Amino acid sequence: MPKRIAVVTTVYRYLTHAQHEADRILVGYPRNGTWHHPDMKIVSLYVDQKPEGDLSEARSREFGFRVCPTITEALRCGGDKLAVDAVMIIGEHGHYPRNEKGQVLYPRYEFFKQCVDVFEKDGRSVPVFNDKHLSYSFEKAKWMVDASRRLGFPMLAGSSVPVSWRLPDMELPLGCEIVDALMVGEGGSDAMDFHALEGLQCMVERRKGGETGVRAVQLIEGDAVWKAGEDGRWSKELLTAALSRSDTPQGLTVKDGRTQDLVRNGELPKLVKNPWAYFIEYTDGLKATLLMLDGAVTDFNFAARVQGLGVQSMQFLLTPEPNVTYSACLVSKVEEMFVNGSAPYPVERTLLVSGMLESCLTSRGLGHKRLETPQLGVKYHAPRESQHARA
Amino acid sequence: MNISRREFIATSAAAPLALEAQKRPKLAAVCTIYFKMSHAQHIVGRFLEGYGWNGTHHHPPMDLVSLYVDQIGKDDLSRERAARFPEMKMYPTIAEALTLGGGKLAVDGVVLVGEHGHYPRNEKGQTKYPRYEFFQQIVKVFRDSGRSVPVFNDKHLSWNWPWAKEMYDVSRSMGFAFMAGSSLPVTWRTPSLEMPAGARVREAVCVCYGGVDSYDFHGLETIQCMVERRAGGESGVKWVQAYRGENFWKACREGVWPRDLMDAALTRSHTLIPARKGFNNVFPSLDDMRRLVKDPVAYQYEHEDGLRSTMLLMEGLVADFNFAARIEGRAEPFSTQMYLPMPDGRTTLANFFSPLVNNMERMFLTGTPTYPVERTLLTTGLTAAGVESLYRKQARYDTPHLAIRYQPTQESTFWRT
Repeated sequence: MPKRIAVVTTVYRYLTHAQHEADRILVGYPRNGTWHHPDMKIVSLYVDQKPEGDLSEARSREFGFRVCPTITEALRCGGDKLAVDAVMIIGEHGHYPRNEKGQVLYPRYEFFKQCVDVFEKDGRSVPVFNDKHLSYSFEKAKWMVDASRRLGFPMLAGSSVPVSWRLPDMELPLGCEIVDALMVGEGGSDAMDFHALEGLQCMVERRKGGETGVRAVQLIEGDAVWKAGEDGRWSKELLTAALSRSDTPQGLTVKDGRTQDLVRNGELPKLVKNPWAYFIEYTDGLKATLLMLDGAVTDFNFAARVQGLGVQSMQFLLTPEPNVTYSACLVSKVEEMFVNGSAPYPVERTLLVSGMLESCLTSRGLGHKRLETPQLGVKYHAPRESQHARA
Repeated sequence: MNISRREFIATSAAAPLALEAQKRPKLAAVCTIYFKMSHAQHIVGRFLEGYGWNGTHHHPPMDLVSLYVDQIGKDDLSRERAARFPEMKMYPTIAEALTLGGGKLAVDGVVLVGEHGHYPRNEKGQTKYPRYEFFQQIVKVFRDSGRSVPVFNDKHLSWNWPWAKEMYDVSRSMGFAFMAGSSLPVTWRTPSLEMPAGARVREAVCVCYGGVDSYDFHGLETIQCMVERRAGGESGVKWVQAYRGENFWKACREGVWPRDLMDAALTRSHTLIPARKGFNNVFPSLDDMRRLVKDPVAYQYEHEDGLRSTMLLMEGLVADFNFAARIEGRAEPFSTQMYLPMPDGRTTLANFFSPLVNNMERMFLTGTPTYPVERTLLTTGLTAAGVESLYRKQARYDTPHLAIRYQPTQESTFWRT
């Protein structure tokens, strides 16, 4: 019997996360050199907004699932008891307000809570996947993870960045000693900085002792970011290493095709009008930095200094639209959890990153001051096996 | 002993510097044309400006000191580069570029980039890039100087098989290191897989894109860098047959090439054109492919040891290079993508030129090619044979001249670090 899936989403238009993730259940997806058709069936869909271009009705007609007016009905498939084997919550895209920190108030917690209400009322729980971060609010995100633990259902969340292809195909050894780590990303907050922070986190969580949580964060922007580099607060060597992995330098490369050493040729401040630096201080003393360098590059690159291994660096390959095959990598992990009943990597990663991001944006709102984060003592261990696309 | 501070600096610093200068090879580049995104720009620029390699901005430990450009167009960048890198001088002839204006060969290596530029096409559709003509001028300097240095030839050797063979033969008779080819064999792979050495490969397919006498060569190099690792090494090719248009679809339906390998290759693509509106990544049916691919081309060929390989140009369906093979002892096809970060909107840098330049560097430093030029001799002949079969109304074309036997390198030479 195929697994019966309910999809709970904000909006189902072309190239939204709902479209490319849920469609993979419907039409299959590339996995390990085959076009894989999951033994899963979408039986119901809740979609919060149906703007022009909505595909939910067309999909429902073609693939024979019901579009339900409420989440409860979607999970019960019109009956009076939970009637699905798993739930995908895809709360990305759609029109939702932003708060004063600039966070889009996607109703992921609200959707999740309604699922949990059904689980509690019906006395049975099923695995839940939550696309991207858990909630804009760490408190709500924490509630979500706590609920999954309390009711004992497997939960997976996060970005496709950790599970996509890497150039080179590289993983940090489990238990390595990381001296310093730096991630370079681009794109707006709080969508793309989340992806970049998950990329950073999936690497540093492999360090000796495992993840210990974050004790303080700070977000600075503008010229202060360059000054922090001059002061050695982030490593130019690591930035050089990360940018050496980029396929998308802007400026002179766009003008006449030349390669660039952006750290040394002085172009970086000209290209990046408003850099943001996210400083993450981990409880065990590791310090890591995310630089969001809009205008310099359009890809996501990582570098770390590792004891005994020197500088390690790579690009998280985000394959092009429209295929965005990296989302196939994510869906294969979702399928793995739905089939095996256990998450291939801990949801605590995404919990911590959700909180890091919120606190960084709070720091920005408080005049870029350093913010202690006692609530972010999230401890977990990285999966032993690498989870990125390799086969 | 009293020595002045100046003398101290001179004796302690100058000696290692002189040694360093001695160790840095001097290179000449011989190009057809130099504009943004031309092969010359990608290759020569990496020697001048450096490039991202092994996690740093790497500057090749050698100096590109002379440049010959055959055609200076409106969008020429060579003069801007020469102005910004005064250590590189432009010369009006190939001989002068190699002798630095003197009477004798004065460089330690030559980079020949004969791609792009305005050159006539023949009746078979081959662009007559003057790689052979440039090569002749290069070896004339070698002969006149009584000395030869390593040469790298970008892409295939010559559009004309006898000339290509002569290039190879001359490099052997004169005894200089000679490398050539595409960046496809040396770029990233997703997944990062190598054909196991000594694998018993039964059939191989590449699904790629582009046109005849152009990207077909890249598709052939994609296949060749993998199948050459099979048991016994490369044995040469007996015949080539092209299929185009309706014949392509007929051959596809009849299983002339294995459909499962074609499908496995397609599942490695990151650029499948969606066959259905509103779907971003859906596997195409044969009918979808017919609708999307206006001018499909296949070259199928049989190697001397019985291996059958097929290169499929499916412009309109994919925009990447995907490989699949059937290997004895494996239930599933072996497949990967040779990943080109293509600056067609996806990227700004054609970074697949970085591993190509890095392999050149290693040859210029050691005097030994990092992979056999016989690979590209064979793919040059296969490209011409595919064109010939198309020209002969898609008749099978026997290729006794392609009985090229060689062994692959033990070490993988694709980009992994």
